[in-house]
Amino acid sequence: MSGSGVPTWEDVARNHGRFLYTVAYRLTGNHDDAQDLVQEVLLRVRRGLETYRPGSLEGWLSRITTNTFLDETRRRKRRPVDLLPEESDRVVPPSLAADEALAGEVLPDDVQDALRRLPDDYRAAVVMCDVVGLSYQEISESLGVPVGTVRSRIHRGRALLRKALM
Amino acid sequence: MSTRFGDSAHLGDALSALLDGELVAAQEEVARAHVARCPDCAQELVAVRDARTWLRALPPVDPPFGFYQRILLDGGRPQFPANLRRRAGLAAFGAAAAAVTVLGVGSPSTRPVSPAVPRLVEAHATSASVGADLLSKLAPVGVPVSFGR
Repeated sequence: MSGSGVPTWEDVARNHGRFLYTVAYRLTGNHDDAQDLVQEVLLRVRRGLETYRPGSLEGWLSRITTNTFLDETRRRKRRPVDLLPEESDRVVPPSLAADEALAGEVLPDDVQDALRRLPDDYRAAVVMCDVVGLSYQEISESLGVPVGTVRSRIHRGRALLRKALM
Repeated sequence: MSTRFGDSAHLGDALSALLDGELVAAQEEVARAHVARCPDCAQELVAVRDARTWLRALPPVDPPFGFYQRILLDGGRPQFPANLRRRAGLAAFGAAAAAVTVLGVGSPSTRPVSPAVPRLVEAHATSASVGADLLSKLAPVGVPVSFGR
């Protein structure tokens, strides 16, 4: 931490690197994009573009990471394999190992694959809730959407993920 | 606070809120009673509970070996992995890094350097590229030894 209590990018890299990378990887679904995302987050922290309010540093980092991710995906929208039907409730294609998946016995790679197939907004909410462990209120403030929207995205994201792993 | 869950006959996203402890006590009581007598909601609750369990069991992910060390040694400059070069977004990224470099190297300064050059040299002796970077003076850093992972 610097004297003002604002974390420096070196603090983040040294002491929260694994956490940051985990969030980035769960959001992007691959190591190349996760590395790019982490570097962009560190750049934002370094340039003082993100306001830090004393509290959960990991909550702050996950907010920056998720919003950076969503900004980037909205700007690009250029990954054909990730394009999903307009109607978000449609069934996501099952993963290759779906027939082996039993309740309570699912491989992390299959969960990650199903997570990657979720619509970006759902994935962001699910990651903040189930990977980072933030409350609905914290997610609402981080994403700038109402709590009801957060609740809906988390629920739909989980339901789609469960269908994908049936 | 109302204990109703919209006009729907089923609980819908209140099921996830129930799992996450996001309902107030009165709502929770109503929700549990509904699940007890509604097979559809009971089934949906099990489904989202499974998904929640699997997501929460996902392990932490380690970055490639040396990833943060390289960033720290380079004073926070982007590493530009090969895949990044193909992207439209790279332009802004590269421009930012270039601007930092230009500011650090190209701007003649009439003010005394602060902190003092010897101190800077000492602090950054292990990283040849950091000394040219104005921003790095905000938080001088030596060689990273470990990341506590």
